Amino acid sequence: MTMVKKLRYPTTPDFPCWVRVVGAMVLVIFATVGRAAEAPIPSTRVHYLHQGAMPPGAIGSLRLQRGGPLHGYFQPVEIKAPEGASVSLAAEGTFIKGESTPRTVGLLVGQVYRLRVTQIPLESGVEVYPTIELVDRLFAPKGQERRFAIPIDLTVEELRLAAAGKFVTRVIYVEDPSTALPTAQEGDGVQWFDVQPGGDPLATADSLGRPVAILRLGGRLPIGDPAEEAGFCFNYPPFLQYPCNAEQLAARPKRLARRPRKNNPAGFCDDRFLLR
Amino acid sequence: MTDRLSNSCQPMPKQSFRLARWIPLAIGCLILCSCSHLRQTAMVTETSSAVVQPAVAQEALSPCPGGTPTTCQVAYVGGASAEPAPLPYTVTGPYCPPGIAKPWPAEEYLCDGGDRNTGVEVSPEWQVLGLQTEDTVAHFDTVGGQTLVQPSNRVCIYAPRFGAVRKVVGLAMEEQHTALGGVKKQERLAGHREVQEAFGAKQNLQPGRNIASLPPVVYRGKQEDGAVSTMQQPYEQVQDQFLPYENLKIIRAGCFEQKENAKLAQGAAAAIAWSQIEEIQIILDGQSASEEVSTTVPTAVYTVKEGPACPKLQLVKVASTPFAKPGEIVDFTLRFDNVGNQPIGNVVLLDNLTGRLEYLPESSQCSLSATFSTEPNEAGSEVLRWELDEPVEVGEGGVIRFHCKVR
Repeated sequence: MTMVKKLRYPTTPDFPCWVRVVGAMVLVIFATVGRAAEAPIPSTRVHYLHQGAMPPGAIGSLRLQRGGPLHGYFQPVEIKAPEGASVSLAAEGTFIKGESTPRTVGLLVGQVYRLRVTQIPLESGVEVYPTIELVDRLFAPKGQERRFAIPIDLTVEELRLAAAGKFVTRVIYVEDPSTALPTAQEGDGVQWFDVQPGGDPLATADSLGRPVAILRLGGRLPIGDPAEEAGFCFNYPPFLQYPCNAEQLAARPKRLARRPRKNNPAGFCDDRFLLR
Repeated sequence: MTDRLSNSCQPMPKQSFRLARWIPLAIGCLILCSCSHLRQTAMVTETSSAVVQPAVAQEALSPCPGGTPTTCQVAYVGGASAEPAPLPYTVTGPYCPPGIAKPWPAEEYLCDGGDRNTGVEVSPEWQVLGLQTEDTVAHFDTVGGQTLVQPSNRVCIYAPRFGAVRKVVGLAMEEQHTALGGVKKQERLAGHREVQEAFGAKQNLQPGRNIASLPPVVYRGKQEDGAVSTMQQPYEQVQDQFLPYENLKIIRAGCFEQKENAKLAQGAAAAIAWSQIEEIQIILDGQSASEEVSTTVPTAVYTVKEGPACPKLQLVKVASTPFAKPGEIVDFTLRFDNVGNQPIGNVVLLDNLTGRLEYLPESSQCSLSATFSTEPNEAGSEVLRWELDEPVEVGEGGVIRFHCKVR
């Protein structure tokens, strides 16, 4: 049997057991209450992981990773260009025949679509190749998807800026009705404004609503190499072509004479496909 | 060591000592759980204390055991303190995440009606407090001198509006000059320029035009038997016949029919209370009867007792279309009925329009004699106010119709 001597001067006071229990309770209470009181409060509502200056396709692909019914849904998009301009989409290794606008196409979320805009007013011979990237979709009632399409406006000013070497980024968002401006929006085009110098258009749009599309103008031009064309056109993602409705046909410039078309590979924007 | 432990904790058994070590942890967890609850309770207390002399909500009154004196089923809409009545069918898209309130996503819908967030209160000086945008309420005075507030149902229209934010960046050239200086090689940075053209934040506000178009109204109706109607035909103050979207029995006569539930839901104006079916009750001279059985008298004796006062106002709102684009006209119809058991007076209906709805002047119609006025609100739209000139008797009601343009 081993004899252990009691310390002559113990390191800790020899309190009774109930005192130790009560002391432990007080310590736990102070620790928990103090921890709860010092809980950090987030200073901002949104932490912006994405920036408007990110390369085309980055924001949309990250949006797909967040889940939701986005994969495989063709979101109707209404493209508007200045009167007289011709817009064509890249498909199957080339640009399809240009058509006047407005026109409605169905685009996939997360993909980047390359356009070619020609016959710009007062800019003859100039071609601009903008891109459209959908970063979200709309959830319109059934049967109303095409009527409430995302508007993509190609204005003369922005086309000229792109032709002059500028890089234009336009973020289209769905306004929050609770913070929407009490102004009427009629006629052509959506309400837009320039972001403040140094600001991020995506973050600004996110603070005003829900960004759904990004339009970029300016930058690269095709060099004619077929190997490079696929990368230039982002591998030609698929899209849907919708026939023109009565409103779009009425908004188009009138022609003096219309020749009957025997072969219309594009298959859209023809009176034969007029929706009654 | 063993001797020391035995000296200090001699009275406490070993099992109890282990149990006592978990007590502080359990108490700490309870305190943590109670902290969040106390914080929420404190927030609610602060919010309610900010209102000066609130009026009594209808739910605060005693229930009406006698039922309503009307002969048809009557739908009650939730009061000011209740949550917004969920819609049995909503005009939402093909997908909605589970657990999220409809309509979803909220950015794409334009709502009007109900009483969201803080409830509307009316002070004794008739000052309306807590009326926010999108709210549609009615307040009235009872015979007992109380002022009650009744919100309408919520109407949502799919009307997304888009905006755009633009940024233009110009290309900048970087120049770097290198010069030799003696033995040492010095590199001087000539300049690092980054030119970004500043654009003024301009906003192209387009002038709005008021385009009013009266839809064709051709109504063919037939007299239906059954419910006693207070308004089978439009009043003289209301132009035209009943419009197709408001040709419902709850609008014509204030009586709810189960078969109109789907049609009401399509107009985004249905409330869950409409689906409730009230029990059939015996009405004698507008007062409920109770049965008393006695052993001495072998017959049933019906004794009429006067029930408690139960002033109630039913307020139903419907819209002409479930979806609209900017620039289109949307018609709203409000149907109000006194479904209580006593007259109500000083009835005032308020509709605080959201900023994206523009009231079309001279488009307000009311079937009863009322004083109509408008007042700008903080959202850039208007607050519509109808003050009925005469008290509303039991079983009576009326219709208010006005047009708005979607901005």
